[in-house]
Amino acid sequence: MSLYLNILDPTTKNDAVQAARNLGNLLAETPEYTEYITALKALNGDLKIQKFSAEMRGHQAALKWGNDTEGQHTAELTRLELEMQDQPLVQEFQQRENKLRTLLQEVDRVISQEAGVDFAVNAHRRGCACGG
Amino acid sequence: MELDEKISAAALQLGQALRQDARVRAYLDALEETQNDLEASALEKKMYEAYKGLITCQQVCEQLDSEVARSFYDLRQQVQTHPLICKRYDMLSVLQPHLNEVAEEINFVLGVDFSAMARP
Repeated sequence: MSLYLNILDPTTKNDAVQAARNLGNLLAETPEYTEYITALKALNGDLKIQKFSAEMRGHQAALKWGNDTEGQHTAELTRLELEMQDQPLVQEFQQRENKLRTLLQEVDRVISQEAGVDFAVNAHRRGCACGG
Repeated sequence: MELDEKISAAALQLGQALRQDARVRAYLDALEETQNDLEASALEKKMYEAYKGLITCQQVCEQLDSEVARSFYDLRQQVQTHPLICKRYDMLSVLQPHLNEVAEEINFVLGVDFSAMARP
């Protein structure tokens, strides 16, 4: 592997980095992105959602530590998840997220086709071998 | 979905810049070598068929057929040690950190994990 690394000269690194930055700036101006950020901020700033999230984290932690012998945490978590899904702000956020996802997937399709390699799939940072 | 002209041009430009990168070219060469090698491509095809067989068996059979499982693991071993396929994997593992670095530039601007959201 080190042999391959030594013979490769990444001369066009800056071109790709500059092109990525330019693309990022253009994406930041799209309605899909600005509406997603607005929905995200609304979600994060809502006290009711914050309360739901905190409660959910508590139940998730209990499940993680195997502290659910009577299934009360699972049941409560399911109830909270359903209640969360009913919140208009959450539904709004999910819609905006899906629209942004569709845009980014199309952008990725163009990049990948031109590059000859699947960009997003291979750019995704893998966890460590321990599963982290 | 039709992309805005400027975004489409910027995505094309990024794709072109990546294609000119020595690591991408080395990976594409290794990929082509594997695809053109009859033994390597047949071996991979056979392994994927064996994998499908294994999955079907897991869903249908009450007990996993040890012959089916052994056949798959033997093929996987052959694939993993085939020189051309190993070279392709090596090239890809050299390339992936670079792609991650490039994607990080988009993430930095957007504050959103591009590669996580854009994956099909």
